[in-house]
Amino acid sequence: MDKVNDLYNMTPPGIDWMIIMPVLVACVTGLVAFLWMSLQKERDTTPMVLTTLVGMAVSAYTAFAQINFSNASTFANMAMRDSMSSILQFSLAVICFIVVLFSDAYLKQKQIAFREFYPLTVWATAGAMIMVSTQNLLMMFIGLEVLSISLYVMAGMSRYEQKSEESAMKYFLLGAFASAFFLYGIAFIYGATGSTNLDQIAVAYATGNREMLGLLVFGTILMLIGLSFKAAFVPFHQWTPDVYQGAPTNVTAFMAAASKVAAIGALFRVLIAAAPLQSYWMPAMFWIAILTMTIPNLLALVQKDVKRVLGFSSIANAGYVLVAILAAVKSGSNNYATVCIYLVGYSLMTLGSFAVISLTAKQGKEGTSFEDLNGLWKRSPLAAGTLVIFLASLIGIPPTGGFFGKLLIFQDAVGAHLTPLAIVLAVNSVISVYYYLRIALAAMVVDDEGEKTVSAPMTPGLQSACIICATGVIAMLFLISPLQSVLHR
Amino acid sequence: MGNASLIWGVLFLPLIGFLVQACFGGSIVKSGNDSAGKRVSGILAVLFIAVPFILGLIITKDLASLPADARFHVVTLFDWIKIQSLTIPFEVRIDTLSMTMVLIVTGLGSLIHLFATGYMAEEKEYTRFFTYLNLFIAFMLMLVLGNNLALLFIGWEGVGLCSYLLIGFWYKDLNNARAANKAFIVNRIGDWGLTLGMFAIATLLMTQLQVVPDGRFLSYDVIFSPASLAVFQANPGATTAIALLLFVGAMGKSAQFPLYIWLPDAMAGPTPVSALIHAATMVTSGIVLLNRFASIFAMSPIASAVVACIGGFTALFAALIAFGQRDIKKVLAYSTVSQLGYMFLACGSGAYWAGMFHVTTHAFFKALLFLGSGAVIHAMNHEQDMRWYGNLRKYIPITTVCMIVAWLAISGVPGLSGFFSKEAILGAAFGNELAVVNGFHYGALAGWVALAVAGLTAAYMTRMTMLTFFGGKEQWRDIPVEAEHHHEHAHEHAHEDHGPDTHEFFYTDAELAERAAPEEHHHHLDADYTPHEVSPSMWVPLAILAVLSAVGGFVLHNGHLLQHWLFPNGVPLLDAKLVPGEPEHGIMAGHNLMYASIAMAVGGMLLGYIVYRKGMPQREKNTETMLPAQVAAGNQFGYDNMMVDAAVDGGGSIADKFFFKFFDAKLIDGIVNGVGVFARGAGGLLKNIQTGYVRSYALMMLIGVVVIVAYVTSVLVHVGGVK
Repeated sequence: MDKVNDLYNMTPPGIDWMIIMPVLVACVTGLVAFLWMSLQKERDTTPMVLTTLVGMAVSAYTAFAQINFSNASTFANMAMRDSMSSILQFSLAVICFIVVLFSDAYLKQKQIAFREFYPLTVWATAGAMIMVSTQNLLMMFIGLEVLSISLYVMAGMSRYEQKSEESAMKYFLLGAFASAFFLYGIAFIYGATGSTNLDQIAVAYATGNREMLGLLVFGTILMLIGLSFKAAFVPFHQWTPDVYQGAPTNVTAFMAAASKVAAIGALFRVLIAAAPLQSYWMPAMFWIAILTMTIPNLLALVQKDVKRVLGFSSIANAGYVLVAILAAVKSGSNNYATVCIYLVGYSLMTLGSFAVISLTAKQGKEGTSFEDLNGLWKRSPLAAGTLVIFLASLIGIPPTGGFFGKLLIFQDAVGAHLTPLAIVLAVNSVISVYYYLRIALAAMVVDDEGEKTVSAPMTPGLQSACIICATGVIAMLFLISPLQSVLHR
Repeated sequence: MGNASLIWGVLFLPLIGFLVQACFGGSIVKSGNDSAGKRVSGILAVLFIAVPFILGLIITKDLASLPADARFHVVTLFDWIKIQSLTIPFEVRIDTLSMTMVLIVTGLGSLIHLFATGYMAEEKEYTRFFTYLNLFIAFMLMLVLGNNLALLFIGWEGVGLCSYLLIGFWYKDLNNARAANKAFIVNRIGDWGLTLGMFAIATLLMTQLQVVPDGRFLSYDVIFSPASLAVFQANPGATTAIALLLFVGAMGKSAQFPLYIWLPDAMAGPTPVSALIHAATMVTSGIVLLNRFASIFAMSPIASAVVACIGGFTALFAALIAFGQRDIKKVLAYSTVSQLGYMFLACGSGAYWAGMFHVTTHAFFKALLFLGSGAVIHAMNHEQDMRWYGNLRKYIPITTVCMIVAWLAISGVPGLSGFFSKEAILGAAFGNELAVVNGFHYGALAGWVALAVAGLTAAYMTRMTMLTFFGGKEQWRDIPVEAEHHHEHAHEHAHEDHGPDTHEFFYTDAELAERAAPEEHHHHLDADYTPHEVSPSMWVPLAILAVLSAVGGFVLHNGHLLQHWLFPNGVPLLDAKLVPGEPEHGIMAGHNLMYASIAMAVGGMLLGYIVYRKGMPQREKNTETMLPAQVAAGNQFGYDNMMVDAAVDGGGSIADKFFFKFFDAKLIDGIVNGVGVFARGAGGLLKNIQTGYVRSYALMMLIGVVVIVAYVTSVLVHVGGVK
């Protein structure tokens, strides 16, 4: 009875609303957009687009404003803030903003009358934001599910297209499979430590008794498997090309950027906490990194569809980030900077590429084979020109963000005595030149056949999406040292 | 320095001008009817250079009001590069040297821009021209204003780029494109030296200089701080190497032997470009570099002797070649090379200020000569061959008067600007004892050469003036019909005198054929042609330059104005002997030197007058009847061809036989193709696993899980964690 009385007498802890403000703004934005949809009978999407754009801009701002704030947590450690969470939340909001920018025109061209897209994207973003800003495994899981369930619906929103339905189904089935692993892992960990908070779990990892070791290791491994599916590490990657190809291009762009950022951000936190056990999981992750960099690159060489190639490319890029994570954990520096910089750069170049690819949709049809890009240079020099910048960045040609990202990862890997990973990364960068250049070439080729392929006209939204991404990719050069100084603190 | 922040206006206005021209130039031209639109676009281009000139004047006035030893100011915008212990800020240096160059660049720049608005009026791609020209000024200002070697390097490469773009402005003519390539490639050799010098300085200072709190190892105020100078003093070998490497950079940009070969070909660009870039500003950046690094060069007698000797030799060599040229711009080009040699001679002898003095006066009269030649070429329907000139004073009087001033100035007639700077250089060469190695006075040796060159200069400039403006006979009235083919290539002058260039620099046969397409700029000159005076937008700059050429030297020399401005306390350097002034002993002591140089100038002019007073002698009109010596001079004594043979053909065959056919085609391609085939094969095999069935994907996931779990279990069992 005393205990109960104590509970009643406790003053509730203060809530720092600022910490959850980006997520909160995103959720509310989604609701407002949803209301607009129900209120408006006609098919006008402009108010919804504007609502989401403004909301995401505000959300991005609230995240950005907190970059220099001190680390803190609230809601009984359910939500937390550090410089990494603020930067990743900011990137996620920007990703959503850019996707919405070019979605309107794309959805109209593709004749997908699915206005629920806007609230769903925003909510998916909120889920992703939760994943990167918590130390609590259950919150992480909730974020993961909010993100995933929204994505399942979005992937299948082109309801008259078999490909889209197939991709949603595949994504859902395999995603459910992976979620089960994640949840099962959490259960193991909870069983061993009595906590779902990573800070406390980390203490248990470091000091735990040997009886619990088996539980802890298995729990960790199962969680890693669950997150590896989301981040699409080999051998849990096979859904990626199918889903990326089948889903509408704007959803693919969102998946490739936001879902990767969220999954990798969460994985990074789990691995940092699990650092004391690294002698168990490091070899496994080491090989996963090698496979994740190599296999998709080889597969991309023989593809005929641009979206599929970019899907494989996103897997390979996840492999590069994994190298950065392993290097950060192994060296004990917990260096957030390289991971964040690469994620930001990768998101921008991937989003930009998909935004340009979305131009191939016209009047309900969409062709995404290499030939469909032919003559793009002639039809829209801006799109083709920025596409070349994105591809240059994906290849890693200086002075683009991709180059500096890879350079930092390479340095970190060598510094953490993971030289084999650094070498595999370098070799794969070379291999990838081939298929990236194929895309660039396809866009630049102007031949008579190219004249027949059609593409949608550039809209202001798409133009600004291309320009924002291209500027970001180039401006990474100037962002690296401020980011490093913020994240090294 | 109240107005120091105006310097950003100086630096960035031309850049904004460039952006305006690049983004809106085309629509401006279109919006007016063609000529009115061009006028607006041209005036805009001039304004973006003229305003920085005025800002420059304000800053210079501020600077002059400070005490002599406080006339420097560094303004930093932001930290540009930070690598470990090295920091490179974006910073500019306002001091006497940089402001002198700023005034030359923007002042002459605006005059030449103004001239170009008239000269290029018929040009279709008018705005492209001014885009490049404004960009050039922006980079040139960066070069002279930057307070560290990295910014200097940006400017250095930027002006090189603009020079390349402008030489090849009429790129449809293959020879112009080739000339542009040649300039670009030859300059790479120089840049190699500059970059190595830069790295050497950074390395030396970073290892030897212990205390630089902010890590600005490439900034001038750090490089020239007493502590750094002590480091250089303590490492004479490294200092000599650094000085020589920087000089290699200067040799490339400032067209010194053996790298001068690009400058004559660079005349393929429009004439205002030759005046601005290849006479007045860019080619003098080598001298600016040496002036900047005067304290380091002064520590190395060997480097100084090398600079003096190369300068002297280039001056002589180019002056001789000028006698064999028939193209009016080629004469001026070799004259420029020769005068640049003079400037290096001054620097090598330790009279750095005299080098800058000559940079300034030369900028006046050589820009005038080029613009004047432009006016002549314009008047003569784009004919550049002096064989068809003569008696032009009757038709273009204003141009003639201006050109005569320039001719007298460059020849060294007392009282005009060239006289004073030449005198200062000769005095320094004989008087200073910097370039002395093992007791031999290399400076004096170069001084004797320079004295001879003074005579040669007077002679070939007289030749040019006589052939163009005098001679009594209007030669174009009897152009033989077979000479007509020259007009087919109104802008092709690069290889006219030494046969067609058979080296296929970088073009395939197909491209050659494509580029041999009909020349757009076809102009006709026949017996009934009457030359016409140029428009005011062209002769006003000429007149201003003529005044500057006449009095500039006196004003700057009076009371040692420029010398005390640039080097207020002499050069406060260690134990190198750098007392500027007249030689105190020897045959050239006292007034003897002045008499000798006046005698050379008058002698040269007399010689030129006697030979060419009646226009070009008949035997000089045909290569067959020319004096063998003159033919040799016309061919640059075979030097250019030899270099091109060795580098392009010799290097090409090594590149082709070894690097391409064996190394690249067999070895590298073999490996690359092998890897490619392997990778694609592997990709093809892996593709089979990507079946598209959810069940097989789930199976693959499960296999992955099982393998990982099995591995971890084995580890656990191994360490005994699980019983």
